[in-house]
Amino acid sequence: MFEQGLMAMLSVATDPYLLFLIFVTTILGVVIGVLPGLGATTGAALLLPFTLTMDPVHAIAVLATIYVSATFAGSITAILINTPGTSAAAATTFDGYPLAQKGEAGRALGIAVISSTVGGVFSVIVLCFAAPLLARVAYEFRSPEYFALTVFGLSMLASISAGGAVKNLIGGIFGVWLSTIGAERVTGIERFMFGNYELYEGIHFVPIFIGLFAISELLVQSKTVNKIVNTVSMKAVKLPTKEDYKKIWKTILRSCGIGTFIGVLPAEGATVASMIGYSEARRWSKNKEEFGKGSIEGIAGAEAANNSATGGAMVPTMVLGIPGSGTTAIILVGLMVHGLRPGVYLFTEQVEKVYQIFGSMFFANIMFMLMGLYAARLFARVSLVPTAILWPIVFGLSVIGAYAFQGQLLDVWLALIFGVIGFFARRHGFSVAPIAVGLILGEMVETNLQHSLKMFDGAWWMIFTQPLALMFLIFAFLGLCGPYIYSLIMKRK
Amino acid sequence: MSNKFYTVPLFLTIFSIIVIGISLQLDTSPEMIVGDSMQARSFPIFLMVLMLVLIAVLTLQYKTNNPEPIKLEKFPTWGSMGLFLIFYLLTVYTDMFIGIFVVMLLMGLLWGEKRIWLSFLTATLTPLLIFLLFDFVLKIRFPRGILMDMYYG
Repeated sequence: MFEQGLMAMLSVATDPYLLFLIFVTTILGVVIGVLPGLGATTGAALLLPFTLTMDPVHAIAVLATIYVSATFAGSITAILINTPGTSAAAATTFDGYPLAQKGEAGRALGIAVISSTVGGVFSVIVLCFAAPLLARVAYEFRSPEYFALTVFGLSMLASISAGGAVKNLIGGIFGVWLSTIGAERVTGIERFMFGNYELYEGIHFVPIFIGLFAISELLVQSKTVNKIVNTVSMKAVKLPTKEDYKKIWKTILRSCGIGTFIGVLPAEGATVASMIGYSEARRWSKNKEEFGKGSIEGIAGAEAANNSATGGAMVPTMVLGIPGSGTTAIILVGLMVHGLRPGVYLFTEQVEKVYQIFGSMFFANIMFMLMGLYAARLFARVSLVPTAILWPIVFGLSVIGAYAFQGQLLDVWLALIFGVIGFFARRHGFSVAPIAVGLILGEMVETNLQHSLKMFDGAWWMIFTQPLALMFLIFAFLGLCGPYIYSLIMKRK
Repeated sequence: MSNKFYTVPLFLTIFSIIVIGISLQLDTSPEMIVGDSMQARSFPIFLMVLMLVLIAVLTLQYKTNNPEPIKLEKFPTWGSMGLFLIFYLLTVYTDMFIGIFVVMLLMGLLWGEKRIWLSFLTATLTPLLIFLLFDFVLKIRFPRGILMDMYYG
């Protein structure tokens, strides 16, 4: 299977249309990444409707390219204007901007580009090997195991993005509840439809995601009108010197491992990875005093980690159907819309397509490296587009995108309503990503619970007698209660 | 803790209770269909009970952490929400593209863009380009309205 996969990966290089798409999307991804507030998730949500008529591989390649290139591009504004284009680049500001202020913006960007590329390529390689192996394990899964796995995925929401564990879990439960709207799958009983038959098959992900990510961000950005941005001038991006490489190669490798591992964990993402990558770089560094003042190890640690998380996050998304972040949740929707059901089937029946997607991610990494090295200065200027021009465009794209998905106006109203809901949620410290992940996992949880109950003649406790299911449930319990138990023990000591 | 912080748990509690109330009114299926599985109402009720437990924890957290009060947003934020309403009315009573044009133009001005010609240009070109892309390339038909009736005939 691996040989067949490798050939499929290489076939990307011989598909000029796909390469062209990756090239154009990389430019778009970098532009989206440098625009503060837009980011990979919003960008993917806005682009999803445009991919509807594409071939499945091309569509997912577009979404995956947006994911990797926007994740990288966040570092450009993080370094030049101290404003991370994406939350995953927040850790890059700690040392990137101070180094730029010292007149070494080109060097800071060069290190960010190389570290991101190494991180991205490393994670794609891991993805190629790990995904089929995990798929083989997942072959043994039945309903109780899938139920426990989704519970584990939902429990991991406690630590997703900002917001705090309890708020994230409330968001996740709200998302799961949203998935119950429509006709119940076994009995056909209508739930929460209020006579609206357009909702019979349930509430669809696309308009909700456009609302939660794009429209709510628009309302959040309306608070930043008239914000003054200080830019740092830069002549050209400089590749790291031999001395720089000597100093950062261990940090990059460490962050690659950390980022990929964190990415693989359900519901964890690039933001967490970059923070841990940065703090580990500091912990292992011989020059701790340089951190926060322009340390190149700090930039490399954060950037290698956040880009390696992208490939890692694709593992649970494609193998188990459990998204690792808001962006992978959208990619998952893209897979489903195009008839690519995530799971074992994907790796046995659609190997070629899967590896072409991996190949696209590989080429996207190479393309953003070239763009980062040769056009970062140009892209940095994009971030200065006035918000009063940019966000009305986002509104237009969101509305038409929401409509285009199913051709019904209800979806447009849903996108606007969920935009307002997302805004108020964020205003009170709730993150919207758990709602999106909850919405995706909701159907899986309920369906697998129903099947499990049927399997065990209603004896729900029998789920605990299945070793794998028990393992996932223990992980979920530890994930939820572990930090509290640990702090209690520490207090007693 | 400021009284304002009770609004979030209170709102969520009311929401959960309403959902439980609606769920309890859902039809039940005959035993032969449901079998050993669960009724359609069970899962949403279970979720809302779980949410009520989390709301209790959240209220306790608010009490102990005493979070800083949230500043009220300025006019552009509330104004933008108001524009959504204008968009709804224009779409229903005139045409979706008229709605997009008006909202984009007003949003630009509301957010402080002083170059009216630039806002006008953006509000005209963006929907036009998107329409052309969706109509010619993606073959998507848009909802009927004043402009679309003229276009589709």
